[in-house]
Amino acid sequence: MPSVGMLNDDAPRPIKVVLNWGRRYSLWVFNFGLACCAIEFIAASMARHDFIRLGVIPFAPGPRQADLMVVSGTVTDKMAAAIRRLYDQMPEPKYVISFGSCANSGGPYWDSYCVTKGVDTLIPVDVYVPGCPPRPEALLQGIIRLQEKIAAETLSTKGMRAKYAGSRRATAAEVTRPLLTQAQVTPEVSPRIAPQITPSPVSVGHAGEQS
Amino acid sequence: MTETPCREVPLDEWAGALSAARSEGFDFFDWLTAVDQMDAEDSPGFDVVCHLMNSSTGRGTLARVLLRTRVPSGQSLASATTLWSGSAWHERETHEMFGIDFAGFEDGTGLGLRPLLLPNGFDGTPLRKSFVLAARASKAWPGAKEPGEGAPSHGAAHTEKPGRRKITAPGVPDTTWGPR
Repeated sequence: MPSVGMLNDDAPRPIKVVLNWGRRYSLWVFNFGLACCAIEFIAASMARHDFIRLGVIPFAPGPRQADLMVVSGTVTDKMAAAIRRLYDQMPEPKYVISFGSCANSGGPYWDSYCVTKGVDTLIPVDVYVPGCPPRPEALLQGIIRLQEKIAAETLSTKGMRAKYAGSRRATAAEVTRPLLTQAQVTPEVSPRIAPQITPSPVSVGHAGEQS
Repeated sequence: MTETPCREVPLDEWAGALSAARSEGFDFFDWLTAVDQMDAEDSPGFDVVCHLMNSSTGRGTLARVLLRTRVPSGQSLASATTLWSGSAWHERETHEMFGIDFAGFEDGTGLGLRPLLLPNGFDGTPLRKSFVLAARASKAWPGAKEPGEGAPSHGAAHTEKPGRRKITAPGVPDTTWGPR
C-alpha cells in the first residue's frame, strides 16, 4: 500500500483536500494508443489543445510510472492480455479513461470476430469519452470529469483496497520478470527467419515483455 | 492507370505458374490472399490470388501481374515459400482466415502452418462467408441501428416509419439462429 493512503486515513480534512489536489493535477498519462483515436489523443497533448495545462503530463516512461491510462482505439482480443498486464503494472491509485467508441463498447466493430466488446470487460474504467473519434476537446472534458472524481474521493487504505479488490489479479511480484540471460537473447538455432522468443508456460510471471 | 493483368491458373499448375512468372522477371512478391467463392455457380471454392511485381522496371511503369486459381474446399495448394520466403506470413494468414492448406509450406522453423494473427485458442476461419458473427446474437449492440431508434424523442412513436426495411450486417445471423 502506498504511504499516501495511510496518511489519508488519519489526515484531517484540509490535508485530504491538499492530497487530492496534488493527485488530480499531476496525472502522468500512459497512452494505450491502438487506432485512429490515438491520433486525437496525441493532438490533445500537443500545443493547440495542450492537456498539460490541466496537469496531465505526457508521457509516462512506462506503466510503472503512470497514474492514468487512456485506452484510445480498437481493443482486440489479442491485445486484451497486454492491456490487462500493463494495467496490473500501474501503481495505485490508478485511473482509466476509455477514449472513443471502440474502447467504450467495440463501436462499429461490434460484429467483428476479433474485437473486444469494450475495454471495461477487462479493466475498471473511470471515465468514458464517446465519439468516433472524439475531438480533443472531448478528451479535455473527460479529464476534467476525472479530476472532479478524484477531488471528491476519500482515498483511505481501506477504501483503496475495496476499490481495487475486484480488479487486482496480480501482485507486483507476479508481474515482474527476471533479467534476460544471454541464452534467452541469442537463439540457439538461427534459421532464415528469427524465431519468436519461446512462449513461457507461466501465465503472468516471467514472459519477456519489456515495459 | 490500367488494370493489372490477371492470369487464370489451374490448381495443379500453381507452382509452375509462379516460378514461370518469377523467371519472366516478376521477382518481387507483394501479397497473397484468398476470396471466398463458395457461393459461385460453377466450381465453388476459394480464389487464391497472388500479386507479383517486376523490380527491374522503373517507377511509374512498374510491371505487375496477378495470378489467380480456384481451390475447391478441402483441397490444398502448392506453397510459394520455396520461391519467396516472404510468402510464409501471407500463407499462414490465408490458412488461418480461410482454412486453405499449403502443401510444402516451409518457413525455416519447421513448425508448419500455424496461426499468425488470431489469438491463441481461436476456433474457426473468420474470413469465410459461412463464419457466423455471433456477437450481435449473444448480446444486443448498444448503439442504434436505425434512424430515430435508441433516443426516444417527443412523440417518436407515431413519427416512426412502419414499412422501413431492417438492415442486418453481413454475416450476422437472424433471430432464428442458435441458442441465446
